[in-house]
Amino acid sequence: MSCTVHIPSPLRSYTAGALKVPADGTTLEEVLASLEGRFTGIRFRLVDEQSRIRPHIRFYVNAREAQELSAPVGTSDTVHVICALTGG
Amino acid sequence: MTLCANERARYRRHLSLPEIGPSGQQRLKDTRVLVVGTGGLGCPAALYLAAAGIGTLGLVDFDRVELSNLQRQVLFGTEDLGQLKVEAARRRLLALNPEIAVLTHALTLRADNVCEVIEGYDIVLDGSDRLSTRYLVNDACVLLGRPLVTAAIHRFEGQAMTYIPGLGPCYRCLFPQVEEGAVASCAEAGVLGVLPGVLGTIQANEAIKIAAGIGAPLIGRLLSYDALELSFTELPVSRRHDCRVCGEHPQITAPRDIGPACDTETLAARRLSAIDLRDLLASAESAGPPLVLIDVREPREFAARHLEGARNIPLRELESRLAEFAGAGDPVFLCRSGHRSLLACAIAWRAGIAAPGHLEGGLLAWAAEVDADFEVASD
Ligand SMILES: [Zn+2]
Repeated sequence: MSCTVHIPSPLRSYTAGALKVPADGTTLEEVLASLEGRFTGIRFRLVDEQSRIRPHIRFYVNAREAQELSAPVGTSDTVHVICALTGG
Repeated sequence: MTLCANERARYRRHLSLPEIGPSGQQRLKDTRVLVVGTGGLGCPAALYLAAAGIGTLGLVDFDRVELSNLQRQVLFGTEDLGQLKVEAARRRLLALNPEIAVLTHALTLRADNVCEVIEGYDIVLDGSDRLSTRYLVNDACVLLGRPLVTAAIHRFEGQAMTYIPGLGPCYRCLFPQVEEGAVASCAEAGVLGVLPGVLGTIQANEAIKIAAGIGAPLIGRLLSYDALELSFTELPVSRRHDCRVCGEHPQITAPRDIGPACDTETLAARRLSAIDLRDLLASAESAGPPLVLIDVREPREFAARHLEGARNIPLRELESRLAEFAGAGDPVFLCRSGHRSLLACAIAWRAGIAAPGHLEGGLLAWAAEVDADFEVASD
């Protein structure tokens, strides 16, 4: 059970620069736990202490927005993490 | 005013396109476009808009040209160093196309001037490098009913989206509230020089389409570009019914200044002058609680020179490393100019640290007022 997660540029310091990383899980919540297991600290950058998605982060599963961490994720799905960028 | 012989010759390749033709070119000439930020995005955008014959271009920027700008800000040359960006840009754009008008606004957009500036234009391009400006410009465009083409960049990644009043989501629908400092800026993280060239020309392309009334703008579609993979990804964005500015019950009915730099009511940051900090350090040495000095510059800048006893936690890592000093005393954040350290205060304050402090004016102020031998590395 493995999906592919696209990591936004500001968070690639956690993934040693990797843009795409594999992760396990059947929901977004489990995918985040899987990421946290390998890249300590990354989860807290995406969701807050109450497990709410941070307001500058958006999740997409196969290009459909996922607004809840309970959103299902299937094998070979693509999860896009979008982070607000500030640079001009 | 119709197109003169010179203009017909200049825009011949446009005039041959049935989608544009003489009437479309006339529409471009009659359109006024405001470019917010004459930086990495604004330079290529303005260059192509001027070349395309957008009749009136407005440029907003209060900065002056620095050497480190020239890696991506293609309107400027080495001879422009130290000049106001909008003035140097105006000369370059009029040299390219004397048929157009270029208006300059050498100022920082604020709640009390943003509407006055934007009102004079038909389309707005946002290429600013501050989130607070992005929200301010978005809110003004929603309230004044102006199309807004927004883009942003970071290292090798870029994003773009177009807002058309009444037709799709605005920037607040995309990111309801982003705290400045939550995302690292390019000054800290670096940016591939050609990246804003790609995104800035996409912004120009969108403005020209809107002006000419052709094609399908990026409405409700976030375009995400990765230069390393050379991939474009399009992700849908819906309008939020509860959007604070374009939603059904908007709370924002006039532009207002946001961001920690202006939000002094909510952010209880202690602002220390260089002299304050020197005195505080002296008294902490003899008695009193230890001062926790956190230098939030990049490791390279920190390694070049730092204050004795300061610990280096780059701003981009601060949020995940707060535990390293929480409870050890009141932190005082340091950086080069005082901008990043203020953002650090905001991050710390949101995380529950009651009295974060920062060195106003940064280590540059320290060098100017306390220690003339203290050399501050460039950012
Ligand atoms: Zn909105």
